[in-house]
Amino acid sequence: MASLISCPHCGTRPKEEFFIRGDATPVRPALMAAEEVWHDYVHLRANPRGRIREHWQHVAGCRRWLVVERDNFTHEVFGVTDAAKAGEGAR
Amino acid sequence: MAYEYQAVHALDGTIGAIAERRANHLSVHRTTAVAMVLAVPGQTAEAAGILLSSGEFEARFSGPGEWLVLSEVHAPETLAAELSVRLGDFAFVVDQSHGRVVLTLSGPDAARILANGIAVDLHADAFPVGRAANVLCSHLSINLARTGNESFDLVVMRSFAEALVDDLKVMARSHDLSVDFATR
Repeated sequence: MASLISCPHCGTRPKEEFFIRGDATPVRPALMAAEEVWHDYVHLRANPRGRIREHWQHVAGCRRWLVVERDNFTHEVFGVTDAAKAGEGAR
Repeated sequence: MAYEYQAVHALDGTIGAIAERRANHLSVHRTTAVAMVLAVPGQTAEAAGILLSSGEFEARFSGPGEWLVLSEVHAPETLAAELSVRLGDFAFVVDQSHGRVVLTLSGPDAARILANGIAVDLHADAFPVGRAANVLCSHLSINLARTGNESFDLVVMRSFAEALVDDLKVMARSHDLSVDFATR
């Protein structure tokens, strides 16, 4: 169930303790990138069904930003990582 | 011009104290020395070592590299300065003594009362004595610590204290609860 999120710092907590920001997959373009690239990054979002990556913040707990990988159709949660760690891996 | 400042507790005149002691008791601390400690990135282990090696501080987990430090030994006026000296360049310290209210809930039904508003497993095996966590209690974020088999400390932001006590009274409706300021 997506209503229980396993925070890597605090353990399993209900979704009410979190704030959901949205898609975690867009990568910030270079500062001087073309306008269309920035338009894509800021405004355009896919609306997939299935496995997605999202930014969640554990506001009522450790207040850390997390990357939650979950299925928005079955509500299955595949993994939760600290956003700082997830960022290191992406670089 | 001289001003006379008077310390007023956030819950003065608001808790509807039930002085007669019942099976479960919610005790409101009058003064508690509280400080927030945030370790410098990469210095978490050093900061934790300093906090834990001294018996004068009680460090409660708040987040990675972040603790809510309470002290019975130091006064609210001196705790933050004392911590700054001890921790040096390993951590940042912010005094919270007047920003937080500390409550102690004790009694045979303490865990059951809290379970009415907190979605964390409070069984002694899952949440043993000495464990602390930031949790959502009803709709308020608090720091919960188990201080004994049947007693918990709740640290809440000052302006939310009144609402938290009201919530706790509701959560304890089917249990016997008395509320009062700590005598100490």
